[in-house]
Amino acid sequence: MTTPVQSANTAVAPEMAAASYSYPSPLAEFWASFRANRGASAALVFMAFMVIAALFAPWLAPHDPIEQHRDILLLSPAWTAQGQWSFLLGTDELGRDILSRLMHGARVSMTIGLVSVVLSLLPGIVLGLVSAFYPKAVGTAIMRAMDIMMALPSLLLAVAIVAVLGPGLTNTMIAIAVVSLPSYVRLTRASAMSELGRDYVIAARLAGAGKLRLMFNTVLPNCMAPVIVQATLGFSSAILDAAALGFLGLGAQPPLPEWGTMLASARDYIESAWWVVTMPGITILFNVVALNLMGDGLRDALDPKLKKLA
Amino acid sequence: MQLKKRFFAVAVACAVTAVPALAASKTLIYCSEGSPAGFDPARYTAGTDFDASAETVFNRLVEFERGSTQVRPGLAEKWETSTDNLTWTFFLRKGVKFHTTEYFKPTRTFNADDVVFTFQRFINKDLPFNKAAPTEFPYASDMEMDTNIASIEKKDDSTVVFKLKKVDAAFVQNLAMSFASIHSAEYADKLLKEGKANQLNTQPIGTGPFIFKSYQKDASIRYDGNKEYWKKGDVLLDKLIFAITTDASVRTQKLQKGECHLMPFPRPADIAGMKADPKLAVMSQAGFNLGYLAYNVKHKPMDQLEVRQALDLAINKKAIIDAVYQGAGQAATNPMPPTQWSYNKTLKDAGFNPEKAKELLKKAGHANGFEITLWAMPVQRPYNPNAKLMAELIQADWAKIGVKAKITTYEWGEYLKRAKAGEPDSVLVGWTGDNGDPDNWLGVNLGCSAVGGGNNYAQWCNKEFDDLIVKARTLTNQQERTRLYEKAQVVFKREVPWTTIAHSTTNVPMRKEVQGFKVSPFGLYSFYGVSIK
Repeated sequence: MTTPVQSANTAVAPEMAAASYSYPSPLAEFWASFRANRGASAALVFMAFMVIAALFAPWLAPHDPIEQHRDILLLSPAWTAQGQWSFLLGTDELGRDILSRLMHGARVSMTIGLVSVVLSLLPGIVLGLVSAFYPKAVGTAIMRAMDIMMALPSLLLAVAIVAVLGPGLTNTMIAIAVVSLPSYVRLTRASAMSELGRDYVIAARLAGAGKLRLMFNTVLPNCMAPVIVQATLGFSSAILDAAALGFLGLGAQPPLPEWGTMLASARDYIESAWWVVTMPGITILFNVVALNLMGDGLRDALDPKLKKLA
Repeated sequence: MQLKKRFFAVAVACAVTAVPALAASKTLIYCSEGSPAGFDPARYTAGTDFDASAETVFNRLVEFERGSTQVRPGLAEKWETSTDNLTWTFFLRKGVKFHTTEYFKPTRTFNADDVVFTFQRFINKDLPFNKAAPTEFPYASDMEMDTNIASIEKKDDSTVVFKLKKVDAAFVQNLAMSFASIHSAEYADKLLKEGKANQLNTQPIGTGPFIFKSYQKDASIRYDGNKEYWKKGDVLLDKLIFAITTDASVRTQKLQKGECHLMPFPRPADIAGMKADPKLAVMSQAGFNLGYLAYNVKHKPMDQLEVRQALDLAINKKAIIDAVYQGAGQAATNPMPPTQWSYNKTLKDAGFNPEKAKELLKKAGHANGFEITLWAMPVQRPYNPNAKLMAELIQADWAKIGVKAKITTYEWGEYLKRAKAGEPDSVLVGWTGDNGDPDNWLGVNLGCSAVGGGNNYAQWCNKEFDDLIVKARTLTNQQERTRLYEKAQVVFKREVPWTTIAHSTTNVPMRKEVQGFKVSPFGLYSFYGVSIK
């Protein structure tokens, strides 16, 4: 993690720039190596598409996602014999346009992903750094608590949390954040521990940097790469967890369109109307695969060892 | 030659032992929907439990005619009542044999002791058998059997006298219900002596058309046809097997593949496909049930009549029947199905009129609407195949008149408990008739005594209505009772404690080989009188 890229803030860069060598900027270098990964690039394009669909859903979606077109229940997709082009992916059991619901559902799922990642990332980093800097009593206590949380099956823990807090979107996000907390704490602690013994940290310490400065300005930037990758992967697992909770009836409440909830209510129609269950299923699948590919691409691009291999 | 003959004999013996199921062509396999909790019908309230015990192993003093709500003689050949309708005398059938099994060999035929034992269990908490196997009798207490029977006496071996504390017009109907299945007193004594009283619930002995063989939880229940059944011509099967299959889609597939002959509770969405299958027949009957939405009249603002009327007017029942029942239902007007005697045919439904609903809300002082909770059942019931879907439809309908509904649900047991305690503002529930008596609809679900903990989910106690049904309960003349119940329904329709939604059609898909099956209005599945071609 001690590449010149990462420690750019140590005032080496300007001197370099002054020399006749032209190094690519850190961002450009990262971008070049990310782009070389075809899967990751395709995933990025797909995710950009999804983000646009989510952000502009109210204007892009052909119908209101909760409007019930009661004369056309379970209409099959447009390309089939009975389909209509105004309902591209067909309608569900209440005559709601599936495409519009998926687009609005993307907003819900992305919000869940983003909020629950942030909610677990921030306390995760702080706890991880604290346990790395105070490895004796405080660190041990934090790590044992995390071990206990990891010993419980994550979905079960999430269900228990939602059961206590009551079903709903906010509580779903809190539950997912709590469940994914241990992985951030462990990851931050592990990389902070390996950084702590390095020369630049000792130098900063000798120069009189305080604990907080050491933690957040010196050590943290060099631990960020694995954490960023974990956050990307956490984003996809948050979407999956939210879908699972929604499927169990504990997540988003009707009529809010959410992918997992859509999947759950479509179960009854597996035999008679395949599209009602297939569309949200495929959407969840593609999103999770895309996010995982992006996470892989990020890891390859940020990790100097893997980068050289590529 | 000698050798050849012997070989032949061995081969035949092998064939006979190896394929008894195939050789005995009269085996019916029923893909049942769940595991019964036990085989003592008195302890339970669910159809799943009754199908596995009351409808197979047991008989009752009187029984419901197959496929109807009419009562016919069962183990009692006839009965008579005193002029004050408080003393009932039952004359028992003679020569009825209890089942002979590996675990019990009866030494005598059915007699009055068995009847006395069966009912003593409900009314006498100090009965030695009850102490050895403590349990509740929920259905018997719901029907007030435990409190209303003053005494039950054996006059002679084939005569039993019941004395009641107050007149109960539905007394004989109640005796035909599954919980009143007649046990063998001799078997109970034997179990008591051996200290195994609870075995009554796992290894049942009755007089019924099928003899219990074995039970594996979540897998199967096996019965043999009772060759010595007292009613000739009712046992047409050699073996009856319940293949327990909880998932409705799997049941459908098993039926299509011929792995079972008959199944309960198909998904409405699958029915059209089954009707088109040349190997299957789908039997349909207007259900003896009602799915409804109860408004909690103790919560504001549902205590105002205009608000209830507005909510009722705003619901589009036709859309619900199309989407939720997929056509397999008929819109409900009264708090009982049209096949129930005393159904008031003159009443009309308020209909679907959101404009008028808005006006009524304005009049009631809620022009901007309000927020309420709408409870949706977590399970599929005969009267409501998909409560969540129904709730979403109602939510959308109410949103148009400015009422914001929050859909709430709990695990089924918890749901009923909280709903009975009056927690929800409005709650989706329903009822399937038990005994074909109007009191089973109006009294049990809307009477004042059912408020707060009982089945009166609307918490609705109306003096005028209650007086009518309490009076009707003490009469035995059906015409007079009909008059009172018809009046009570008028009060119900005027006060709108519920929105009556639909009576669902019961669909029973089966293989074409199945002959003589009849759909029970009570949602039970019985296989006497059924054969396989």
